Amino acid sequence: MNRSTHGWKWLLVSPALLVLVFAASGPLLIVAVYSFLSPGNMGGVAWEFSTEAWFRVFFKRDIFEPENVALNADFLAVFQRTLWLSFQTTVICALLGFPTAWFIATRPPHRRMIWLFLITVPFWTNLLIRTFAIQELIRNNGTINTLLQWLGITSRPIDMMYTDFAVLMGMSYVFLPLMVLPLYAAMEKLDFRLVEAGYDLYASRMQVLRHVILPLVKPGFIAGSILVFIPSIGAYVTPSVLGGGRSMMVGNLIALQFGQGRNWPLGAALAMLLLVVVVTALIFYLRVTSRETGERHG
Amino acid sequence: MVTDQQNHHDEIEIVRVGKVFGQGDTAYHALIDIDLAIRSGEFFTLLGPSGCGKTTLLRVIAGFEHPNSGTLRIKGVDVAGQAPNQRRVNTVFQNYALFPHLTVAQNIGFGLKMLGRPRAEIAATTDEMMHLVKMDSMAARKPAELSGGQQQRVALARALAPRPNVLLLDEPLSALDLKLRKEMQTELKRLQVETGITFVFVTHDQEEALTMSDRIAVMQQGRILQLGTPQEIYHAPTTRFVADFIGETNVLNLQVVAVQGNSAELALPSGQVVSARLAAGLVPKQGDTVAAVIRPEQATLTTPDAGHMPATVHNAVFFGTDTHIHLTLADGQPFILRRQNNAGLSDPEQGSQIGVTLAQGALQILKGD
Repeated sequence: MNRSTHGWKWLLVSPALLVLVFAASGPLLIVAVYSFLSPGNMGGVAWEFSTEAWFRVFFKRDIFEPENVALNADFLAVFQRTLWLSFQTTVICALLGFPTAWFIATRPPHRRMIWLFLITVPFWTNLLIRTFAIQELIRNNGTINTLLQWLGITSRPIDMMYTDFAVLMGMSYVFLPLMVLPLYAAMEKLDFRLVEAGYDLYASRMQVLRHVILPLVKPGFIAGSILVFIPSIGAYVTPSVLGGGRSMMVGNLIALQFGQGRNWPLGAALAMLLLVVVVTALIFYLRVTSRETGERHG
Repeated sequence: MVTDQQNHHDEIEIVRVGKVFGQGDTAYHALIDIDLAIRSGEFFTLLGPSGCGKTTLLRVIAGFEHPNSGTLRIKGVDVAGQAPNQRRVNTVFQNYALFPHLTVAQNIGFGLKMLGRPRAEIAATTDEMMHLVKMDSMAARKPAELSGGQQQRVALARALAPRPNVLLLDEPLSALDLKLRKEMQTELKRLQVETGITFVFVTHDQEEALTMSDRIAVMQQGRILQLGTPQEIYHAPTTRFVADFIGETNVLNLQVVAVQGNSAELALPSGQVVSARLAAGLVPKQGDTVAAVIRPEQATLTTPDAGHMPATVHNAVFFGTDTHIHLTLADGQPFILRRQNNAGLSDPEQGSQIGVTLAQGALQILKGD
């Protein structure tokens, strides 16, 4: 009896498992295998084992003197910038998302739904369209610069396109809802009587924020940070439209290898490295945040 | 000179305080012209049914609500401009509102920490408070790991730790079961006496109010109906609401035969005339019908032709320590009589005729509704 119900359970979850295995692990496996093959002439891969792709991820050979090997600082810089931009995006989203989520959570219940709905409205439009809309705002003869010049605040357009600022602005805009929603979920559960208890026990507004509200909505921050940071690291559309070649991120670098670069194994190796970085960062983050919780509460 | 002296004895002075929620047609008058002086070091209870404004009044004192009119002084200082964190007043919340992310010790030390007290002092006071509420062994626990009674003790200790001038308690015992509630009633009274802090206690439970309070204010629909010691409130209610709300009572409609000073002669259904006290400010005329109250335990059973009035036994309900005997008077008015079960008397038979004797001076005439 018990055995057969156990068997049924597996049968019932099998469709989901199949999708997971074939749609997630399958392609990942292919990428892992490709990273150890040689590039084909017209893109694609040639079925010969090679560690050249992995070598090139970390080192580069001088074109004229192949024996002369140096650390590949260019790729490293792209990874570094990607992590730095993603971190900044997460911080910006947290700073903007907290007051937004707080505002929504403190509205009367029937109004909250309207605000939440408005938060999700941007998702209704294609990401590419929205990114081009930002471009329209910040390009040299775009809305912002035209307005600033018309008002006489600047005489020359401010360069905003193809800068880290443009990428940050674009990514923060795109990922902000992913921070607001889990923060809101945490705040909605917050017992506001605890806030009153804090005021009652001589805490100032800032102290209530620090000692009562922030510790209690921390799970929302953790979830939101993960939801923003991870897709930021893999962002492709935003940096390619707003960052161009000057402010490239890992996503663009990988796409480049599969496209113009015609070096699929190198792209695959970079993708695998990105995966390792993300997973490592995630584990590190979760360990730090959970240890902090344990210490403060234990 | 008189007001000066009052300032020294009154912890909290509430002068014509009004609070309105909402505006226009939907405006709700939660507090209407409340005048109240709470003395230093007393156990003061705000008693009333839900929605009577007692919790609103407590929140006004704490600083969570701002009155629309009137003045509130704590220790003689107008606190209108003071936020809750600036008032030396602490609250024990109805649901305890313990910080779930902090341990018992951290919860208790929270107020002192926010006041910027040195670490050593916080630790010492926290230990002392945990000892006071008998929670010494629970310092490292989280609120979620505590029972309701234990959470209650932590909430008390947390509110007492900063040594407030006034402790506000918002129905703190309502979530506990009967046995625990009785224990905590004694405990609360002990803490109040030991610390000497002024307690302002909000409850809808009349028994709780009677057993713990030095003085009680009975509230209804945003007003204070009666203010007095538990004995005064119980034995000399001035309105029908107070008489009904506090314990079981008999309300008899009787005719006034004569009025003399602060008492009146009333005609019982039997035709006998008895003397009754008048509620303050009440001046009935001869021939008026007034409502007079008498507690069930202030009447005794006797033979049909003795006592103040004859009655028919309706039924007898056994309550353990005493028996409630439901009677019908000659004119059809119901009457309840309470008899202690220590004499080993048998219950009177249903339908039998008996006589009722009223205790001397027990009848109290109420203000009209």
